[in-house]
Amino acid sequence: MKIRFPLGRFLAVAVVSIAGAALPGGVRAADADYPVLSQPAIVSPKAAGAAMLGLARAGQRLVAVGERGIILLSDDQGGRWRQARVPVSVSLTAVRFVTERTGWAVGHFGVVLRSDDGGESWVKQLDGVAAARLAEQAASQMAQQGLPEAERLRESSLHLVEEGPDKPFLDLFFANERDGFVIGAYNLIFRTRDGGQSWTPWMSRLENPKGLHLYGVAQGGGGELYIVGEQGLLLRSTDGGERFAALPSPYKGSWFGVLSTGEGSVLAYGLRGSLYRSTDRGESWRAIDTGVASGLGAGLALGDGTLVLASQTGDLLTSRDGGASFQPAAGRKLPVTALAERADGRLAVASLRGVLSLDPPASLDSPLNAPAKGAVR
Amino acid sequence: MKADDVMDHQPVVARLEDFDPASGDRLERALFNHRPLVVLLCLLATLLLSVAAVRLGLNASFEKTIPARHPFIVAYLEHRADLGGLGNAVRIAVETTGESIFDAGYQDTLRRINDEVYLLPGVDRPFMKSLWTPTTRWTAVTEDGVDGGTVVPEGYDGSPQSLDALRANVERSGEVGQLVAINFRSSVLFVPLLDADPQTGKPLDYRRLSDSLEDIRQRYQSDRIRIHVTGFAKVVGDLIEGLEQVMLFFLLAVVIAGGVVFGYTRCVRSTLLVVACSLVAVVWQFGLLALTGYELDPYSILVPFLVFAIGMSHGAQKMNGIMQDIGRGTHKVVAARYTFRRLFLAGLTALLCDAVGFAVLIIIPIQAIQDLAVIASIGVAVLIFTNLILLPILLSYLGVSPRAAALSLKKDEQDGPERHWLWRTLDLFTRRGWAAAAIVVSAGLAVGGYAVSLDLKVGDLDPGAPELRADSRYNRDSAFMVANYAASSDIFVVMVETPTDRCTSYATLSAVDRLAWSLEQLPGVEATHSMAGLSKLAGVGYNEGNVKWYELIANDSALGSVQNHAPRELFNKGCSLLSLYVYLQDHKADTLARVVAAVEGFAAQNNGPNLRFVLAAGNAGIEAATNIVVHKAMREMLLWVYGAVVVLCWITFRSWRAVLVAVLPLMLTSILCEALMVWLGMGVKVATLPVIALGVGIGVDYALYVLSVMLAHLRQGASLSEAYYRALLFTGRVVMLTGVTLAVAVATWVWSPIKFQADMGILLAFMFLWNMLGALVLLPALACFLLPKASRPAGAATPAPVLAAL
Repeated sequence: MKIRFPLGRFLAVAVVSIAGAALPGGVRAADADYPVLSQPAIVSPKAAGAAMLGLARAGQRLVAVGERGIILLSDDQGGRWRQARVPVSVSLTAVRFVTERTGWAVGHFGVVLRSDDGGESWVKQLDGVAAARLAEQAASQMAQQGLPEAERLRESSLHLVEEGPDKPFLDLFFANERDGFVIGAYNLIFRTRDGGQSWTPWMSRLENPKGLHLYGVAQGGGGELYIVGEQGLLLRSTDGGERFAALPSPYKGSWFGVLSTGEGSVLAYGLRGSLYRSTDRGESWRAIDTGVASGLGAGLALGDGTLVLASQTGDLLTSRDGGASFQPAAGRKLPVTALAERADGRLAVASLRGVLSLDPPASLDSPLNAPAKGAVR
Repeated sequence: MKADDVMDHQPVVARLEDFDPASGDRLERALFNHRPLVVLLCLLATLLLSVAAVRLGLNASFEKTIPARHPFIVAYLEHRADLGGLGNAVRIAVETTGESIFDAGYQDTLRRINDEVYLLPGVDRPFMKSLWTPTTRWTAVTEDGVDGGTVVPEGYDGSPQSLDALRANVERSGEVGQLVAINFRSSVLFVPLLDADPQTGKPLDYRRLSDSLEDIRQRYQSDRIRIHVTGFAKVVGDLIEGLEQVMLFFLLAVVIAGGVVFGYTRCVRSTLLVVACSLVAVVWQFGLLALTGYELDPYSILVPFLVFAIGMSHGAQKMNGIMQDIGRGTHKVVAARYTFRRLFLAGLTALLCDAVGFAVLIIIPIQAIQDLAVIASIGVAVLIFTNLILLPILLSYLGVSPRAAALSLKKDEQDGPERHWLWRTLDLFTRRGWAAAAIVVSAGLAVGGYAVSLDLKVGDLDPGAPELRADSRYNRDSAFMVANYAASSDIFVVMVETPTDRCTSYATLSAVDRLAWSLEQLPGVEATHSMAGLSKLAGVGYNEGNVKWYELIANDSALGSVQNHAPRELFNKGCSLLSLYVYLQDHKADTLARVVAAVEGFAAQNNGPNLRFVLAAGNAGIEAATNIVVHKAMREMLLWVYGAVVVLCWITFRSWRAVLVAVLPLMLTSILCEALMVWLGMGVKVATLPVIALGVGIGVDYALYVLSVMLAHLRQGASLSEAYYRALLFTGRVVMLTGVTLAVAVATWVWSPIKFQADMGILLAFMFLWNMLGALVLLPALACFLLPKASRPAGAATPAPVLAAL
């Protein structure tokens, strides 16, 4: 029995007619209908225990993003957390910093946020409403130019416009302060070359005819870009992201993420503890036994070359041979969502129940250090 | 010196033939000239009413204790059918003393308990849940979709392998913290109950269910298995059981009160008679209640105590008078008539004061309190017949023991020349110095007490079922549940109304989600549970378990499909109602008030034609409504009861100074009572609210008795000291007797297994004693400054009714 979240496609026709009738104003109506897009996140004493979905380091600082627009900052390696000012209250799914001050966070309802002060404050650069409009404009431009991709982009822009701004961005990649991608559900992908001032729909550049969700993006050792997604979707770009071509996938289940080891090998991980490794830039893949039954949701390459994978039920796996083999490390039964390396080399973990710090993977057999569910100021 | 002015008109008549039966007022002649008829009628009434009294039921309806007309409760009752399982379920935790529940022996016991409970009448079987019911399933997301099965694996045989499979299934079932304790050492049978038998339509017999559960507990509990039961039905069962124990206290009260009266009179015959008349009053009261369709509940069951105690005190007074007359040599019939003549109106006024104190409670829109008011009023009315009429008539037949009569006279004589030390001490308070001191101390107490009483809280302050004691079996079981399961026992439910089939639209759920999150910001709110929260998780579940989908997805058809996996407690059949569960740390009034204010604020901004946030259900929601009503009623009730008392005092005394003298000590008692409640950690609640009114109503008796005699003597020109001394001799003694009898009788409630009865007992005992002290100490002190010169004019042309009677 297969249950899929029938996000829109399922009842697209019905939804189109309802949405068409109810939302003549389109963009303006969205503000009233989707207050999460305009309401700033509540600063809450319970933020420290909220579901956190993404985690990154900005210089010495740890930045975690999660439900209800909550962004937590810690300047003492996860001891104390305080809440940043965030202009939206959607679930934020991922965060990356390219410098210690500049970074982006993405989330549901097509939200992209940018910070230039190390995460203290955030500005909304894109949301689902604007994204749909951009896709629509781009599609009609392409159609005027007679480009072959026009039809595909028009289709996806139709979904975006008519179904409302409900599509989430799920991961992001920025090569530097200007050039980056945000990826999400239903083949949703936008590119910027000016640090997020403007965004270009990139949906037509992907070889993803079924419009599968895009879950993870990473850059390989040779500069190539990988995007992984549901139902075994594996995409690779070798031209700096201009085109993403499908790779033959060794696995039919969904990938939740992709990790580049920095030594030329690439790891794709996902459902049911599935882990595959490629040492030839994605041409061929070999299964790695993890001994884990639940989905692997987060991966991280540490500064010392150690690789860490975490399952969504809290299993931790480490590898010191570039991913050729993984060993279980002491974990905690936590719904882990994201990993980051602290400035002192220890591991920080985001989970559905807040953010924790772990002992360095080098001594992962020792138990967790004191949980960092400290007071949020 | 001994020549009592009242006595002047009542000469000693040793032989009945010398007495003029046509003397006395019409009522006296009607009663005493037809004594056999009166006795016969009373006997008949007693027989008939005692037959009726047998049918008087005990009940512990919770609906009576909630303010049924409050909008919260109206809304709750309106949606009651859709809020199924809310509260009306029993949770039975089966705990092992061993390592964990993954043990063949434990599972076998659990299965057998499960099967037995399943067959109990009143259980809503399809919705019952335990590890052994087929409804308890595990699910896991795989690349092929969703996999699942019953938690107890197919072919379970108690082997280590199948126990391992069971453990794995439990861990992925999501029932840890729900059906299975967080420490894996107990698991729960969740037993929803049907309000009425679907076949017979008869309401659920809580008593029987509770007994069956106790029986199961008895049989399965061992050194390896412990059983904990919680739930509304168990509370009701325990309360009904507690009510039966209360009967023991009643016997105790009879013995104590009888003992006090006997200690005072030293006459077995008349003591028995007073006890018997007071008991007859209770029998009549029960009979009348049964005939008028009332039932006794945990609140009103205490009224018979009060009626009995009040009856004892009035009876003692009658007896005291008759005894003194007989001691002087008057014939017993004449003595009874004299006493009736002297005291009937005084007694009537006092009883009317009591009745006013009770009757004022009718204004509180909580049925339990209104019932209490009616039941108490009936009891007091009955006392007029049994203790003011029947008792003197019976005494006129039986008389008193000559020895006791002589003794009572001797006591009086002793008092004459050489005043008793107690009277001498009390007399000090008629002098300016002592009086000023007493007033200053009282004022200090009033100010201090008032300062403390500002901290008085409304509502219940203790965890668990507030009806029962903190260390009761039930509350220990409840504490066990709270400690081992992720469930709070204080649940506040916000009802969310939408048009049919719109309950899971994004607009609805996103508003619910915003409200839930804003409520979670409040101190005292631990967590929330709603369709919105579930839909976020479902977003993850429907997307192969990828946690990045943890959000309320704005897609109505997707959100609608969550209904297939949602427990029924979150939404109703027609999808027109959602329940937002707010789990609270406690049910303190502040916590509840915060939640109510937050929801009301949110509702004001967001309620519209397609979405309405409605307060409130859940035990905490109901308690919030009760608190609001009680808080409002508290001041209102005091206003009414004092208003009534002031009017009664004015009618009696015709002097505002006298009214002040009578009422100020009562107010001090009221203030100190509130301070005492703060000190004892009691809140104002359905149980303690009536006490305040009862205390004032009964307390004013004392002032009436003492002050009326004092004023009579003052008006005849006596000095304050002399007037007070006369009052002490004539009524002061009985005031003390009454105060002690009442206080001791209600103090026995302290041992009640029902906590609020104990609270009521403590407060009432305090008020009775303190009012007595006030009447004996503060009253003369106030009189010293307020009364003497002003009321001197001898021409008090219109003697007040009570004085006329005296």
